[in-house]
Amino acid sequence: MSVSAIRRLILTGLLIAIGIALSIANPTFLKLDNLMTMLQEASLTGIVAIGFTLILITAGIDMSIGAVIAITSMICVNFISYTQLPAYIYIPIALAAGCAIGWVNGFFITHFKLPEFIVTLATRGILAGLALIIAVKDEQGFVKNVFIEDPVFLSFGETVGPVYIVTIVFILLAIATQFFMKRTRAGTNIYASGANPTAARLSGINVDRTLIGVYMFSGFCAALSSIFLAARMMTAMPEFGIGNELDVIASVVIGGTPFTGGIGDIWGTIIGTLFIALIKNGILKLGLSPYIQPIVIGGIIIVTVVADVWYKHHAEKKATQAARRKAMESKEVGA
Amino acid sequence: MAKAKWMVAAAALFGLACGAASAETKIGYLPSTVGQALTQAWKTGIENTLKGQPNVSFQALDAQMKAEIQVTMMDDFINQGYNAIILQPIDAAALTASVKKAEGKGIPVITLNTDTKLPHAACVTMDDQGAGYLVGEQIGKALGGKGNVAIIQSPPGAQAGVEREKGFRAAMAKLYPEIKIVGAQNGLWNKDKAIEIMNSFLQVNKQLDAVFAVNDNMAEGAMIAAEAAGRLNQVKIWGFNGQKSTLTLIEQGKITGTAYTNAYDQGATAAKYALDLLSGAKKKGDKTDVVVVPPFAATKDSVAQIKPEQRW
Repeated sequence: MSVSAIRRLILTGLLIAIGIALSIANPTFLKLDNLMTMLQEASLTGIVAIGFTLILITAGIDMSIGAVIAITSMICVNFISYTQLPAYIYIPIALAAGCAIGWVNGFFITHFKLPEFIVTLATRGILAGLALIIAVKDEQGFVKNVFIEDPVFLSFGETVGPVYIVTIVFILLAIATQFFMKRTRAGTNIYASGANPTAARLSGINVDRTLIGVYMFSGFCAALSSIFLAARMMTAMPEFGIGNELDVIASVVIGGTPFTGGIGDIWGTIIGTLFIALIKNGILKLGLSPYIQPIVIGGIIIVTVVADVWYKHHAEKKATQAARRKAMESKEVGA
Repeated sequence: MAKAKWMVAAAALFGLACGAASAETKIGYLPSTVGQALTQAWKTGIENTLKGQPNVSFQALDAQMKAEIQVTMMDDFINQGYNAIILQPIDAAALTASVKKAEGKGIPVITLNTDTKLPHAACVTMDDQGAGYLVGEQIGKALGGKGNVAIIQSPPGAQAGVEREKGFRAAMAKLYPEIKIVGAQNGLWNKDKAIEIMNSFLQVNKQLDAVFAVNDNMAEGAMIAAEAAGRLNQVKIWGFNGQKSTLTLIEQGKITGTAYTNAYDQGATAAKYALDLLSGAKKKGDKTDVVVVPPFAATKDSVAQIKPEQRW
């Protein structure tokens, strides 16, 4: 069994174990309502995490995702407050804005050879400020959080049966992205660009275009999540999403996509997202202080990353030993 | 056989837990953050009221000043089948959906200070706008209708602070048009940031006669900055809320005044209201029942009227 498969099995086992422990500690945990709102939470983070997984596979980072969530919600709420345009026109515009921001990130990273962290941190600041500037104001100039009443927009926060629409979209997007990454040439190009950009370039892959595409996808995912968030809360706030980057990063890293690039996949990210959502929900169910939550999440990141590094080291050592033994054997045969 | 025994034991445990959960009344308290004197005082007021009640359990959660977290926690109270929720919404619009959801499941929600957009059981409020107006009147009177004032604001979109500022500005515009508002900056509700802002106000304005900070923490910050600059006796500083430390500073003459509300009382009123709804003594109406706790202008002359047990 491969390293990542074992890892995934262990995480899934842990996930189930925690679930059982929680349902014994607090029977309301297993209520359908609770499971569905937990999945809703997980999906809001998870949609962003799908885009972020691709970023990490290219060995990049995108710090602007939170601010993209903020600005997208502000764009929607501006359309709702000042125009009569229907939701099926302004929602695509808002999603396109997310892609456009991703394009800008990708453009600066590839054409000026700037570090990903710096570029996206800068766009994060700019977007957070812009979100406040374009926020809807009342007659005295104070930021006003509009109460959204557009039924089409609000339908994004509804459920189909007991399942929230956002959960369905999350699952579909995850399946599509996984398929794209593993079964198409463009997906392979993304892995290659992350594993070794020079080798990828030499073998004829347009690395710059691949990277720009990945950042655009990340912007799109953040924008999509923003629409579901605003529909859920029936309002949009200029500080939406800002500060939520850490949950997203944690989900992806716990899911087994390392910062070094070249490996990782969406299944891992789904498990990581569920893991974080379960812990957040569990802490509330156990009546623990929410302050413990970041400590627990931080602790889990450390443990999984240490385990990853240790396992990788172990596997490499084994591989070198095997290679050496083989070389010795062939030498003996040759002699 | 052993397996069957285990399953019976587990089922019994499960049943027991369910039974225990349904027998008692659960009341949840969800303020914007627990780390403030005001929200602590509310909590004490609520706890004191609930203490004598049989079979009532009480749980407080911390929304850490983020509306998204508060919405998640509301969902959790709802899913756990709480019987009533006392909520201080971080934002009126952002919490409306949650309050609607709770009330839809028959859980009455009593809001503190910030009303939401759709009707719910009750709102026990200290009338932020009215109290802001009161501070405006007091400052205007003390300055004789002339001078320069500055405002240390709350973060943009933080409704409670915005309402206070609106009330203050309304008083200035209506009663004292000759008083100039020379600056308004966001102090993020906190003392450190207020010191920084007050410093810049003092540097830019050679003449600064009064400052209104929309909460007491920031008023204390403004006082520290003014004292360091040696201009404390030239600037009148007003805060908002009336927490214990600020009242002491008012007695010492370092802070001019604050809009005081008896937060213990306010918390107790909300808790009492919840109990009355649950016992059937009060009925939920079609509109939100607004209970106003009047503000009181605490200055050096009047602060003695606030008894030690009313200070929080």
